[in-house]
Amino acid sequence: MMHSNLKISTILTAVLTMGAMAVFFISFLLAETEISLLITVALGIGFFIFAKNQSYFENMIIFSNQRPVFFHGLIIIIISLILSICKHEHFALFMIASVTLYATACFGLTLQLGYAGLTNFAGAAFLGIGGYTVAILANNNVPIILSVLFGGITASLIGSLLILPILRTRGHYAALVTIAFSLLFKTFLELNEFLGGPQGIKIPPMNLFGWSFSEPVLGGSFYISYVILSLIVMGVVLGITRLVEKSWLGLHFDSVRIDEVASSCFGINIAFWKITAFTIGNFFIGISGGIYANMLGHIAPTNFTFGDSLILISIVILGGIGNPIGVLPAAFLILVLPEKLQFIQEYRLLLFSILVILVLIYRPDGLLNRPLRKFYKEWGPPFIGK
Amino acid sequence: MILDFLDQYLVNGLVLGVIYAMVAVGFTLFFGVLNIIKFSHGDVLMAGGFAALLAHQTLTSLGSELTIFNLIVTIIFAVLSMGLLGALAARFLVLPLKAAPPLNTLLITLMLGLAIREAVRLFYPNGSNPKPFPRLLPDTSTTLQTFQIRTDSLIIIFGGLGAILFLHLLIKNTRLGLAIRAIAQDSETARLMGINFRKIVLGTFALGSGLAALAGVANGLYYNEVNFSMGLFLGVVGFSSAVVGGLGSILGAIIGGFLFALLQTLGAIWFTVPAYKDVFAFIIIIVIMACRPTGLLSESSSDRV
Amino acid sequence: MENKLLDVTNLTVEFGGLTALSGLDFQLREGELLGLIGPNGSGKTTCFNAITGIYKPSKGSVVLLTKDITGLNSQKIYKSGITRTFQRLRLAVGLSVFDNLVIGDTVDLNTSVLFNLLKRKALRKQVDYQLNKVKNILKIFNPDLVNAIYEPISKLTMIDRRRVEVCRALISRPRVLLLDEPSAGMTSEETREFMDDLLEIKKKTPSLGIILIEHEMSVIQRVTDRCVVLNYGKKIAEGTYKAISCSRDVRVAYLGED
Repeated sequence: MMHSNLKISTILTAVLTMGAMAVFFISFLLAETEISLLITVALGIGFFIFAKNQSYFENMIIFSNQRPVFFHGLIIIIISLILSICKHEHFALFMIASVTLYATACFGLTLQLGYAGLTNFAGAAFLGIGGYTVAILANNNVPIILSVLFGGITASLIGSLLILPILRTRGHYAALVTIAFSLLFKTFLELNEFLGGPQGIKIPPMNLFGWSFSEPVLGGSFYISYVILSLIVMGVVLGITRLVEKSWLGLHFDSVRIDEVASSCFGINIAFWKITAFTIGNFFIGISGGIYANMLGHIAPTNFTFGDSLILISIVILGGIGNPIGVLPAAFLILVLPEKLQFIQEYRLLLFSILVILVLIYRPDGLLNRPLRKFYKEWGPPFIGK
Repeated sequence: MILDFLDQYLVNGLVLGVIYAMVAVGFTLFFGVLNIIKFSHGDVLMAGGFAALLAHQTLTSLGSELTIFNLIVTIIFAVLSMGLLGALAARFLVLPLKAAPPLNTLLITLMLGLAIREAVRLFYPNGSNPKPFPRLLPDTSTTLQTFQIRTDSLIIIFGGLGAILFLHLLIKNTRLGLAIRAIAQDSETARLMGINFRKIVLGTFALGSGLAALAGVANGLYYNEVNFSMGLFLGVVGFSSAVVGGLGSILGAIIGGFLFALLQTLGAIWFTVPAYKDVFAFIIIIVIMACRPTGLLSESSSDRV
Repeated sequence: MENKLLDVTNLTVEFGGLTALSGLDFQLREGELLGLIGPNGSGKTTCFNAITGIYKPSKGSVVLLTKDITGLNSQKIYKSGITRTFQRLRLAVGLSVFDNLVIGDTVDLNTSVLFNLLKRKALRKQVDYQLNKVKNILKIFNPDLVNAIYEPISKLTMIDRRRVEVCRALISRPRVLLLDEPSAGMTSEETREFMDDLLEIKKKTPSLGIILIEHEMSVIQRVTDRCVVLNYGKKIAEGTYKAISCSRDVRVAYLGED
């Protein structure tokens, strides 16, 4: 794909696809009745099949590779449009921010599970660690940006305590240790008076350099502030995750995941890479938990149960293990669908578990399978005969 | 003052130990034949308890009032239905993923556990609340010098040990057991020697799940209550016990189960807040795991170079 | 040529009560291709695993040049210059040929987190440098493989996978190369081709010592300088192919002659 050879039709179809996705996103989010939701979904699936047949999605990838500035600028414009359309919709904005933060946490899980192959079934507990850290610090007048960072650091530190036994033992024990931790964490929160016990703890609204997050923004909902902040954080974390993958770091993680014996015979320090993945991943989960707690304004042990950890894992599997881009549609689907279809709300865990089982059996690669590593833009075989 | 209750603590610890051991034996069996961890095991136990409850309700509504008959039918129903569930899970979820990375098997059984849990919560009448479990065991008690022991506890302890012993003899002395052991040793060679791998795996899953159902019934009889969410915790405890004892060894699973119960009992004696006993037990177990990664009785290494 | 490269003395590996390797002594000289032969289960792979730190030897020592590497972990042994292939292929099947080869050269990669995230231009230089290295080594074994650099291993034929595995072991320019039955799954024609490539490697890198586990006696006869014969975990013969093929013990072990 030479730089100069980007066809107009490729650009046009790529932009069209992105626009259609944005329209689908908005209609889905704002659909009031179940009928209109159904129509939106039907049209969405129809367009998806059409676009796939016409290889519009490939065009989008080519476009994003060839004109990264244009592509990302367009994304920012689309997001601003969406926000300006939804600016009075508290619930829609709350859902956008939640999806964004959950996706950020799932990038952390992607590093751990998708790259280094470390099973972390305590994702919600690390969200909670971030959240409770922010709660304590914010109530003691620590600046919010510092408390969120500390939320991430605390999650990393507690995570590194957990990983010590994991390193000494074989793979499946990581699952055991993290599940046990997840169950005990909730018990610990419920018993701890300092952290508010089962009733939980209140968090004052955010204030970032004089920008108060409890005030309405641009005449719209105060949630807009949280949406913008979480989108920025997600963008940074997604960027880091992708850079990790396209570097020697990603290569080492993959090698550790695929074959520990062969890796150590080629000088790879298994323990070091597992600790690195676990620490960075938990940091990402911790900061998303910190912002999430701030947005909720009040957190309780029931926000961070084992069931929530399983939802995080489900998002990662559904999106395609190891593909951070796949996390985005998966998080949207898993978080927004039950809110929109109230009659499935009660059944959502059952439905998700069945969905994940089906994905694992019939499509283990998830929605978007992970492509081979490309170290840089022009990575790939040269054109023969040119 | 604590010594006054020592007999209670001891009996309680033994009952828990037997229940944990029964769960742990299942983990050890599955690991032996397929090298996998089946995370839905605890929820199979829970479902076994509910199956027993269902059977008992049906029996009483049909007018059957003979307690011993009800007990036996209830147990048989629970064990058979869970054995079937285990075999189905092996056939449709575990075996198809045999070639996939081990992580996928772990995830699929974890999700199966969630599905069982949610199905019981949603579809069992009023399943989200704890259910009283009928008292089918005599509530008399025996006094041995200063020790007072409830008869139902004794029955559970010896019944559970008997079931494990039965399973052990089955594996030691029957053709099915021989095949299970052969596959655990070396599944490729066993297959070449004409052992029907599929059938044996299904059989093993049925056996292990049946034992879990029995543990679920025992748990219900002891606490007189079943609860849709109890399986998760019991599963994790059973898995920890199996790991600490040394995965792959039945004796190790029994030792691990009793060790966990002992730690919980000690925790209950030392800490005033009851929930801390679990925290204590888990921390000690994790420390033991870190010091002896292959378990107290060494786990058979399966990673061939 | 006569410089001692690897000195294995009294190497013993025990699993519980089972002795898989007992009191093995042998030396490998620079530039030498040593055959390690013996019936199945005689301890050949165990010997490799003990040298590369996968198993801890219960007795004995392994000395590389002057450095005692007995009981070091696999990483340190790789870094001191011993690499290997495996009897059952252990490539990362889902990754590209390039990725797999670079895993063999981790000693040459900058793995600092900040470098990898921030210094993308310098990283790109390293990647291109590795790309060249990978191309050059693949050329020796099969020029067609150069076109497959960006393909996943799963698209390669069995022989090419074996070749990639050997290249992965060679790319870091080790002092000692351990080849565990590289010809498994190859036709005799492919084996011949492969051994030609191996001899070429030997000629090009005169200081490299190679130990080859192999079942096919004609191959052993053609390529090895010397052989060590194992049976039941013990060395029963050592010498040139000619010498060992006359040995009575070896015939008994292989052919069951009395």
